[in-house]
Amino acid sequence: MLEVSDIATAYGKIEALKGVSLRAGKGGITCLLGPNGAGKTTLMYTIAGILKPRRGSIRLAGAEIAGLPSARIVARGLALVPENRLVFPQMSVRENLLAGAYQRKDGAAVAQDIEQMYARFPRLQERREQLAGTLSGGEQQMLAVARALMSRPRILLMDEPSLGLAPLVVEEVFRMIGDLNRDGVTIFLVEQNAHMALKVAHHFYLMEQGRVTFSGEPGKLAEDEVIQRAYLGTKRPGRVG
Amino acid sequence: MIDLIQNTLDGVMIGSSYALLALGFTLIFGTMRRLNLAYGPTIMAGAYLGTYASLRLGIGALPVALLVIVGAALVGLYVERLCFRPFGEGAVMASMISSFAVWMQIEEAATLAMPRHLNAFPPLITSAPIALGPYFFRADHLLMLIVAAVVAGLVYLALYHTRFGLGVRTVIDHRRAAELVGVPTERIMMLAFVLASSIGGIAGFLIAAGDGQITPMFGMWATTKGLIAMMLGGLGSVPGALLGGLALGVIETHAQSLFGPQVRDLIAWGLLFAVLTFWPGGLLGTRRIARAAAVQRRM
Repeated sequence: MLEVSDIATAYGKIEALKGVSLRAGKGGITCLLGPNGAGKTTLMYTIAGILKPRRGSIRLAGAEIAGLPSARIVARGLALVPENRLVFPQMSVRENLLAGAYQRKDGAAVAQDIEQMYARFPRLQERREQLAGTLSGGEQQMLAVARALMSRPRILLMDEPSLGLAPLVVEEVFRMIGDLNRDGVTIFLVEQNAHMALKVAHHFYLMEQGRVTFSGEPGKLAEDEVIQRAYLGTKRPGRVG
Repeated sequence: MIDLIQNTLDGVMIGSSYALLALGFTLIFGTMRRLNLAYGPTIMAGAYLGTYASLRLGIGALPVALLVIVGAALVGLYVERLCFRPFGEGAVMASMISSFAVWMQIEEAATLAMPRHLNAFPPLITSAPIALGPYFFRADHLLMLIVAAVVAGLVYLALYHTRFGLGVRTVIDHRRAAELVGVPTERIMMLAFVLASSIGGIAGFLIAAGDGQITPMFGMWATTKGLIAMMLGGLGSVPGALLGGLALGVIETHAQSLFGPQVRDLIAWGLLFAVLTFWPGGLLGTRRIARAAAVQRRM
């Protein structure tokens, strides 16, 4: 579904991504783990078209999307639930959902999809006329996901959906990710919470200092080491871990 | 008492043109998060185009109005291309200072095109004031109020009931999030800029036609009136801009009737100072200010 090859992205002279390659298969949950500053969010913003890569290719369902403006990428069927959720704080829940369908022109189907989102997330229906900035963190996360789904994406990218949420809410968010995937949504997830992420992921990558350093399936080998590296980065040589 | 009401009514009518100026200003500030000092001069350029054509070609008031609005829209596009599009989101200073440079450029160009300081502008209505009981209404001011109300209504409809309006509101609310949901933010910002400049053009035409004259100083006058009305109402708030414009008109008219015409602008500037010092959020803009501050911290 999504195929990233040799992507390099830089902020001025500092190269945050140094040639990243990975793929997210259709119908699966692919997870990207890694410590702070590894370049995970930079990769997400590069795929979504907010940042322009210096080189490399990004293919969505076979078509090249690297370097396209973000609006075109959304229209091609890729939606990102960004880090920190970034809901529209001064707009109501319903308007947030409408904005999520900005690229669509099928008004009647959009109205139906909004009802579907309310059915999936009843809390959003209760608060549909409330300003999104007044929602709790967990509710904002639900709204950000629902808003992204409103574009009817082929693949849903999620950047740290558990960030800043209470443990119980984090469990709820991961339950939702599992549910979405069972309903057929392809998911590419970035997480620092490796324990939770490895429970839902079908495949994962480990990223450190702008490079993918490990790739595998959860539950197989060296899970402890991967978790440790996801939180702390690579062990320094000579230290006993 | 009759004076008080008459002055208030006059203030509301004059204030409706300030409200339009502030509406354009706030649309630009809301989407760009940057101050366009060349906003008034943009309108002045449109008005100069109108008066130039009317003097040379002898065209009537309606074609002149059209020319002023289209002229302001085109000059607005020029300002956007030159002072706003090339700089990134964070370059607040670069945009403001370059818009000041363009202001000077437009003023010089206007003076070169029509070297006389004072130029006649074709009046719209010259009929005698309309009497209603003990009160008098200038017909052109009444028209100003009606046009302003219609324009404000149309802008409201556009903002809240069209796809373009949804795009504008998402950009005003959170530009990055707008990009992520697929709003073509740069195009929306350009269109909002041009729309704002045209709204300014409408206000500029009504004011210049009411005065029957135009000078190169009209640019500075329009920028300052729009700026004060916008700050009064609350930065980046559309209802605030309308309210701020009306309030500024009413306060100015009362000040003028109490203390004489010399203090009119002094009061306006004093008001801006007082608002910024004691009520920096303006009438309707406190929350937005708080959020702007939060955005600054994040950057």
